[in-house]
Amino acid sequence: MARYSPLVIDHFDRPRNSGRLPAAPDVIEASAGSVAQGTSFHLSARLSGESIMAMQFEAYGCPHCIAAASWTTEHLVGSPIEALARWDWRPVAQALEIPAEKRGRMLILQDAVKCLAEIGLQPP
Amino acid sequence: MSSPIYLDYAATTPVDPRVADRMIECLRPEGAHGNPSSASHEFGRRARELVEKARVQVANAIGAKPATIVWTSGATESDNLAIQGVARFHADRGRHIVSSKTEHKAVLDALKQLEREGFDVTYLRPGVDGIVQPEQVREALRPDTILVSLMHVNNETGVIQDVGAVGRLCRERGVLFHCDAAQSIGKVPVDVEAMQIDLLSMTAHKAYGPKGVGALYVRRTPPVGLRPILFGGGQEFGLRSGTLPTHQIVGMGAAFELAIAEKDEDVDRLRSLRERLWQGIAKVGDVEINAESADRVSNILNVTFHGVEGESLQFALRAVAVSAGAACSSGSDEASYVLRALGRTDQQAQSSLRFSLGRFSTTAEVETAIAEVQREVGRLRQIASG
Repeated sequence: MARYSPLVIDHFDRPRNSGRLPAAPDVIEASAGSVAQGTSFHLSARLSGESIMAMQFEAYGCPHCIAAASWTTEHLVGSPIEALARWDWRPVAQALEIPAEKRGRMLILQDAVKCLAEIGLQPP
Repeated sequence: MSSPIYLDYAATTPVDPRVADRMIECLRPEGAHGNPSSASHEFGRRARELVEKARVQVANAIGAKPATIVWTSGATESDNLAIQGVARFHADRGRHIVSSKTEHKAVLDALKQLEREGFDVTYLRPGVDGIVQPEQVREALRPDTILVSLMHVNNETGVIQDVGAVGRLCRERGVLFHCDAAQSIGKVPVDVEAMQIDLLSMTAHKAYGPKGVGALYVRRTPPVGLRPILFGGGQEFGLRSGTLPTHQIVGMGAAFELAIAEKDEDVDRLRSLRERLWQGIAKVGDVEINAESADRVSNILNVTFHGVEGESLQFALRAVAVSAGAACSSGSDEASYVLRALGRTDQQAQSSLRFSLGRFSTTAEVETAIAEVQREVGRLRQIASG
């Protein structure tokens, strides 16, 4: 069995912000990956002005994926929307000690975050 | 966390305490520390006596004569000795071998080695039920076929092959038949004469015996023709050199004797426990038994959990020791080749778990396992899709 860091185990066993925000005018959402690929993420965020007020995720994937999505939503809530555009996989990979062979899955999470940024930064 | 529940008996079994007692007797100073090949003194003769008693016990378990049993280090060595031994002995007669895609790696990797040496191997694909039809074997045979190697009970799905039909076919065509029976002893009847098997691989540790000892049945009349793969002191009729590990062999003999004596009781009890396990697992919905329609041994249940990723499933169920249909936890992302051969997609194969029950499994353990599966599968599906 793969070795998981304590933080991965914590987020896997007690994921933060798991679920999907109900559709609303101030809620944006984005997806990346697929079940067939073995990894998929769906992110939803409630915006208020230029800030992310709430964020939820759905994740199909290995424990690293679930933990990474959980950690990411926890860290993005309260950030400006621009933080989504600047987000990349490295901080989460470092914080959770994600092994090199799982980095490709983190890029799928990055795709979902970037997609969310594009939607959030679109002019109304 | 309390100790995990062990439901991985198809991987290996704990040593039965009755077997351990017999082995410990050998290991004590007053036991049997002599070399069984030292016929010139009492210590050696005492060890030899125990080795030969175990040979009878193992032979009786498969309907064979004791002189047909060759001690090895386990089923992997038995498979290698059978396959490489036959191939090298009979290479002048032909260089074609027939096997299947769902064999154990000990068979597949031995065959791959022979392919590197210029042999030609046909790997038959079983149906979705995991069964290789004897007709497939018949169609694959060629004038230069020297060996058919087909396992009796599949270690991942528990599917029981009709090796008797394949044995008859091979005997009619004058082709040697090797059968890996590592999972069979104590679970299904094995009779090498009735099944017309020429070489049969066995191991002790799947039948509540110790790890590190096994045996190969080698038909004597007429002789199979086998070239050894280990050379040294010429033990075991010249087929397997090396000092015999008396305590291991005694353990295997005792384990096989118990396995046969208690087979019917074990099989009935485990079938009932497995049924209870499946009824509980099925309540989570969107689950399937792999190779459900085939005749399977009573202790193995291989289940695909749709909508749940395999590595997360296995980690979420870490309170239950089971085997995944995936090796992705090692980072290889390789799905079970056995389930893939049965038509499962990579994703389905990775989302499959093998539950295997055994002699020491209890109803309480099964109930706990069911509760874990229901809670964790529900939780992961919730995370995946709200």
